[in-house]
Amino acid sequence: MKIRRKQRTHIDLADSGALSDLAFLLIIFFIVIAVFNINKGFLVELPGKDSTRIVKNDDLLKVILTRDNLLEYSGEVISKTEMENKIGDMRRQHPNMTFALIINPDAEYQGVVEIVEMVRKNGIENFSFTMARDDQ
Amino acid sequence: MKIERRKTKPILPINSMSDIAFLLLIFIMLISLINYRKEVKIEYPEAEGSEVTHGDKNLEIWVDISGKIFIDGSAVDLVSAEVVIAEAVAENPSVRIHLIADRHTSYRNLDGIMEILKILQHRVVSLVIKEIKHE
Repeated sequence: MKIRRKQRTHIDLADSGALSDLAFLLIIFFIVIAVFNINKGFLVELPGKDSTRIVKNDDLLKVILTRDNLLEYSGEVISKTEMENKIGDMRRQHPNMTFALIINPDAEYQGVVEIVEMVRKNGIENFSFTMARDDQ
Repeated sequence: MKIERRKTKPILPINSMSDIAFLLLIFIMLISLINYRKEVKIEYPEAEGSEVTHGDKNLEIWVDISGKIFIDGSAVDLVSAEVVIAEAVAENPSVRIHLIADRHTSYRNLDGIMEILKILQHRVVSLVIKEIKHE
């Protein structure tokens, strides 16, 4: 006996599966485009121009970033690990400590970013930075 | 007598696929133009523990290694930069300003921008970095 195959008289494009592939590719494309231009970094709050805030001397950790991207504290060059230890000690004694960074004009931006990273990592809320002027 | 009808073979209409592909190509080209970001050749600073700083409305200020400032792909001086920033802030006070600077540029090249932002009382600035991941 001859078995007859059921033959479709009409083939719809939507049924073929090609459109779903296309839609899938389109979704991937949108996801890639959306992710591509997103900036990542650190949000830094700037003070107003000429705004001042009184900070107790004991709460202040004043650090200089030298032109060679080294950290200077109390006239001595210290490593980043030492700086982190210093921050840890100071935070225990003075929870409201302020980290004041004075940046040499010739210091590289990477050095500044590394200090911002260190400040964030150590949970310091009061962070101030300024470029060293001639009198500093 | 039973007359057999002539049966046609099913054909997938692939002609229309080329039309769809063509439309898709035009669509992708248009989207690429919309999302076109005028980048300046810089080496990004690297750090860990960054956050997504992209806002709803963004203004990117690029500073290359020599200290040249670029906004929207055009080189500007500090005075022009101030005008552009002031206009952007006036238009949308919550505009997110991104500072995208070369890692080797001197800080003196960025200080002018910082001072402008302080004058304009624009409190928050995003320092854009490239995230490094240690395994």
